[in-house]
Amino acid sequence: MSSYDVTLERVGGPTRTIGIDERETVLEAAQRAGTPLPYGCRTGACGTCVGRLLAVDGTASVDADAAEDGIDVADAFAYRREPRALKPRHRDDGYVLLCIATPETACRVAVGSQVQSELVDNPWK
Amino acid sequence: MSDANTGGSEAGSDHDHDHHTGPGYASPQAAIEEGEREQLAYVMSLYTGSDVDAPDFVSVVDLDPDSETYCEIVDRIEMPNRGDELHHFGWNACSSSCHMDGLERRHLIVPGQRSSRIHVIDTKDRRNPELVEVIEPEEVFEYDLSAPHTVHCVPDGQILISMLGDADGDLPGGFLELNDDFEIEGRWEPPGEIEMNYDYWYQPRQNVMVSTEWAAPKTYYPGFDLDDVEEGKYGRRLHFWDWENGTVEQTIDLGEEGLIPLEVRFLHTPESTHGFVGAALSSNMFHFWYDEGAGEYRAEKAIDFEARDHPDWEMPVPGLTTDILISMDDRYLFGSNWLHGELWMYDISDPANPRRADSLSVGGTFGEVQGVQGRELAAGPQMLQLSLDGERLYWTTSLFSTWDEQFYPEEGERGSVMLKADVDPRNGTLELDEDFLVDWGDCPAGPARAHEIRWPDGDCTSDVWQ
Ligand code: FES
Repeated sequence: MSSYDVTLERVGGPTRTIGIDERETVLEAAQRAGTPLPYGCRTGACGTCVGRLLAVDGTASVDADAAEDGIDVADAFAYRREPRALKPRHRDDGYVLLCIATPETACRVAVGSQVQSELVDNPWK
Repeated sequence: MSDANTGGSEAGSDHDHDHHTGPGYASPQAAIEEGEREQLAYVMSLYTGSDVDAPDFVSVVDLDPDSETYCEIVDRIEMPNRGDELHHFGWNACSSSCHMDGLERRHLIVPGQRSSRIHVIDTKDRRNPELVEVIEPEEVFEYDLSAPHTVHCVPDGQILISMLGDADGDLPGGFLELNDDFEIEGRWEPPGEIEMNYDYWYQPRQNVMVSTEWAAPKTYYPGFDLDDVEEGKYGRRLHFWDWENGTVEQTIDLGEEGLIPLEVRFLHTPESTHGFVGAALSSNMFHFWYDEGAGEYRAEKAIDFEARDHPDWEMPVPGLTTDILISMDDRYLFGSNWLHGELWMYDISDPANPRRADSLSVGGTFGEVQGVQGRELAAGPQMLQLSLDGERLYWTTSLFSTWDEQFYPEEGERGSVMLKADVDPRNGTLELDEDFLVDWGDCPAGPARAHEIRWPDGDCTSDVWQ
């Protein structure tokens, strides 16, 4: 059994690193550590808990603008169940549902409600 | 005055109301005459999807102009968990149970749209209601349902909740039934009747229920995406049910002009088979009615709200007709065009030919009034509620947390407001009451969103008559 250091960077807020057991979801660990994250369904359907993977252990940090191909979430997390609220384009862009994601390596993730609002923008504007 | 097509407004002689001992009023007219002026409102209030680390709550708002706390949130009933996204709610009993001895309209059934958790609040003490029961999401998922939406009581004391998804947030949705002890009784309908679900309304005397379609929870939860519309993931159909059997008798496809049919209302008169549904995305109102000759329901577009050009928007902005309601006397249809920032009022004395009475341009993208008492309005009018006498129209401004974020990002930062217009039913006019403002921007834990509104004694969107 392993534990990984996951750094949660709240957009416009504090950054915190917590050790997360590989059997624990990021949301569960964050709650345990008193670092609240937004959530709703806790089953991977609603997208409220979404984060964006910024870097995996040992790689340079990924600048959101520079990451044309995004970053592969599968390098950093396993899913307990199907991440239904993410479309293929969201998965390719490094978005991860933290209520069902368990870490497989140390990494950094952008979190908070701002990340959710990046998912879909105003189609008329 | 209703015309003959609406089925008349007198309570039918086949239905004896002398033994009225249960909850509610004997007839819509009795609600108008016997109902007192609303003193309090219960309002869904939420933090889900924001960075405020607090659970959603039900606000008790003081509506008594003579009270020192007029326009204030005088009590907050916090949910035990975060992340519910409280949305729509309803009473355990309404006027449809007016013959049920001992049944009281006392408990509010308050579902979480995102969590699928169902709460029961006891409002015996109206100013200080109490949370008394919680049905956990896992219990709901056991019936392969999620995303609870509309709550109506069933005439014999049960409670029916429309559910928009399966346990995984996928289709199909269905209906969950609770018994009068607030325990899950099971699924109401036989499996496989519908794919999509949203709002519903029933007319027991006509043995009919009508239900509408939003989309799979996993489609609408993260936000609105035009690609999903193109892929046919949003609804556009009405389903007419045999109310006794719980089976779909007829489905009407409203087509492109009827995209995303949300709130649906039958006229209050129990004999009537007329009703209206707002197609939110197409921004059209459809009138539906039972065609005796053909022996089936029909639906026709009755009001068309045109998209409007705005210099800051790349494409014409649809009105987005998100909520509608019918006055208790069945004379007026009210609605909100959330994106345009418009409240409208149509005379539906002839339901096939609604006649525009008045409108109010407030908030939203085009609203003439963009502030009340110096408070900037961050969004357009959304959920509506009308006094029983039809003279006061109230509304809040939040639609759904993720959709708010897309269309009105400031709503999350400032919180919602509740506003009011004075209605003159005689002349068919609406006037903004600038003295009325309830502000969710000042909540102790941070700005909150405000959604559906209910009156303790039943209201224009909760009560059904037998
Ligand atoms: S909380 Fe709903 S997807 Fe994670």
